Amino acid sequence: MLLTPYRVLDLTDQRGMLTGQILADLGADVICIEPPDGSSARSVGPFAGDEPGPDRSLFWWAYARNKRGITCNLDHPDGQALVRQLAAGADFFLESDDPGAMSARELGYHDLSADHSDLIYTSISAFGQTGPKAGYEATDLILMAAGGPLILSGGAGEAPVRVSVPQAWSHASGEAAIAAMIALRARGQIGRGQHVDISAQQSVAAAAMSANLAASIGASETARVAGGMAVGPFTGKLIWEVADGYISLTFLFGSGIGPFSQRLFNWMYDEGECTLEDRDLDWIGLGAEFISGARPLSDWARLMEVVGAFLKKRTRDELFSEAQTRSLLIVPVTTVDEVANFEQFEARDFWREHEMPGWPEPVRFPGPFVKLSDNQIEYRRRAPSLGEHNAEVYAELGLDEDALNDLRERGVI
Amino acid sequence: MTTLDNTPAIPTEGALAGLNVLDLMWVVAGPTATRAMADFGATVVRVESANRIETARGIGPYHNNGQGPDHSGLFGNMNINKLGLSLNLGVSEGRDVLLDLIKWCDVLTESFSPRAMRAWGMDYDSLRQIKPELIMLSTCLFGQEGPLSRVAGFGTMGAAIGGYIALAGNPGGSPIGPYSAYTDYLSPRFALPTILAALDHRDRTGEGVYIDQAQAESSLHFMSTALLDYHVNGRVPQLVGNADSDMAPHGCFAASGDDDWVAIAVRDDGDWANLCYAMGLGELICDDRFADLAARQANEDELNGIIVGWTSEHGAIEIEYMLQAFGVPAHAVSNSSAAILDPQLLHRGHFVEMEHPTHGTTTFEAAKGQMSETPPTYRSVAPSIGRDNDLVLRDILGYDDERIAELAIADALT
Repeated sequence: MLLTPYRVLDLTDQRGMLTGQILADLGADVICIEPPDGSSARSVGPFAGDEPGPDRSLFWWAYARNKRGITCNLDHPDGQALVRQLAAGADFFLESDDPGAMSARELGYHDLSADHSDLIYTSISAFGQTGPKAGYEATDLILMAAGGPLILSGGAGEAPVRVSVPQAWSHASGEAAIAAMIALRARGQIGRGQHVDISAQQSVAAAAMSANLAASIGASETARVAGGMAVGPFTGKLIWEVADGYISLTFLFGSGIGPFSQRLFNWMYDEGECTLEDRDLDWIGLGAEFISGARPLSDWARLMEVVGAFLKKRTRDELFSEAQTRSLLIVPVTTVDEVANFEQFEARDFWREHEMPGWPEPVRFPGPFVKLSDNQIEYRRRAPSLGEHNAEVYAELGLDEDALNDLRERGVI
Repeated sequence: MTTLDNTPAIPTEGALAGLNVLDLMWVVAGPTATRAMADFGATVVRVESANRIETARGIGPYHNNGQGPDHSGLFGNMNINKLGLSLNLGVSEGRDVLLDLIKWCDVLTESFSPRAMRAWGMDYDSLRQIKPELIMLSTCLFGQEGPLSRVAGFGTMGAAIGGYIALAGNPGGSPIGPYSAYTDYLSPRFALPTILAALDHRDRTGEGVYIDQAQAESSLHFMSTALLDYHVNGRVPQLVGNADSDMAPHGCFAASGDDDWVAIAVRDDGDWANLCYAMGLGELICDDRFADLAARQANEDELNGIIVGWTSEHGAIEIEYMLQAFGVPAHAVSNSSAAILDPQLLHRGHFVEMEHPTHGTTTFEAAKGQMSETPPTYRSVAPSIGRDNDLVLRDILGYDDERIAELAIADALT
């Protein structure tokens, strides 16, 4: 696998576990270090059978895959010493604790890099390690608000609305994986590791699609449009109601999207549901006609109504099927059950299964995030039980069973 | 804020200095990944054609609300630090240049529909014959194989087919979804670590790597728990607005300004008590209707009404400061005007200003990762179409005047 030579110590909780997951999927030896009573991520729902329990958190199942798991009490001096010893043999160190918490345990970047300058130490936090909001209390909703995406989602004049599956920490974790890998390449150039400081607020800003820049460049604020987006003076409607639900249709003009709109109107004309004049509009240059005033903006609203009426008579399947024949920008708006049964994912053999402790059936997971020519991503380990790999990992430090029992009795592991 | 110089050049320093990237991607998902490489010192040649204006150039926010291919703040943000080459791939002379650039690059990235590269004989299997150590990323909505692989798609469609649209909306209403091309923001988080891992592997083994990314698949890793909840528990999420199974109150509350909202998340009874104190409504702590999570959820409409009664008297930022002082998670729902005054974003240097040939100055967002030893460098604004043709053709490919003139006559440089 691509990252087979590398070892990662993953001390993150639910705020950063996707980072180590990406590295683990790419082949790194990722060891997650949990407190003796279990990672707080094991308490994150939903749970298998809706029953909480350390081995029943679906979050843990999803984001501890391909990792080994050990326990260590970071608030015990002997636990801190163990982590320092393990860090000496690691390439990456990942943590997502509150800023300052790791330094207080003498496990901060400077503590660990002093003896091990190669270490790539990645900190994930809500607002960054320093600054006026570094101590802010944060949740998913708070971060989506702070980074810019939330104000853009929802109906005009209505309360902004978030994606109900928490997203913010995944954005931060993804950025952390990118930066950690850049630091690995930098290590080859400069001969040492470094401290990577990831802010979830800045990471989620990516999901505002540059709308955060409006005020800086003299643009109006980006309007909030339910099921669409503002494109200059135009409303780009993205979600359309059809006979049996909703579809996404990207409908606009210009050289990128105009040809698709042309083909949609060709179809509508074939079905007798638009005029020849509308079909033969200049779908590439139409925007310029509106902006110059050669064509009134109200005509854009009219065209959207014509399209809307056409779609409303047809089902999601009819539209999606014809979209493939005619090359149109139409897909159904799917619910999670439909995603899970989507033919394209099946055809690409996307899903993977693991047996999970305490669950009778094999469990299906989203599969490899990319396909590779060689060195494919493999699902080689399910998420570990608490302390599952204590013996084999601590043996590397020369600790035998007696030593581990002693550490266990003293609450170190 | 310092205004940086705009000087397009081949970078010589940074974590990725010496790395050559040929970028045939467009709009948001692809350019996000290559921008991160450019920020950290890679030489990224971004190929465009004036014959088919890149969609992002038409998407806002627009400089001074103006129109034109260099007005898009989105395009500007996605493409700083890259060198812009205009190339007409519709003529064979244009594709000859492309082949020379493929020989030059370490990493080739493309987001055409799967037909295009094959039609030009530039699919990975052909290219690895001439360059076995090539790292190549093909990224599109549905991937290179499968019955739907030929379906063209933007991230707006990825958000729909990937289940995200149906995860945001108010109870009983239409699905609303996250903003715009949601999967475009997620897929670079998987593509880029893979490219960098492939480079590391290549350096150790000499082997090239082909990466087939279906953006719709990568993006499902941001909703793994919902997929597992379906597979394991048979549950399909419904539209719930901002309600949360573990927190109440939890939502966006109207503040006193115009389109002014504050997000508040009460995680537990301690947060609830602190919120009550902050609102000056300490008596609510003992109110049975709101005594614990279950009670607050059962009476959430009533509860939200009380909170709006308070929030609507204050500005969102003022509420944020008040509640955070009490340890309650809260933040103004920021728009761009709030963002440029946000003390934390300023502390982080999130907005970077640079000279711009058309607009005087422009602003873009900083690299996401702050790195202690190899910080990003900001060298140039996003290219106008063909801005760096000379630099790429002469300095990188070593073409002479005659060769460049031939290309111009063949209409290869448009």
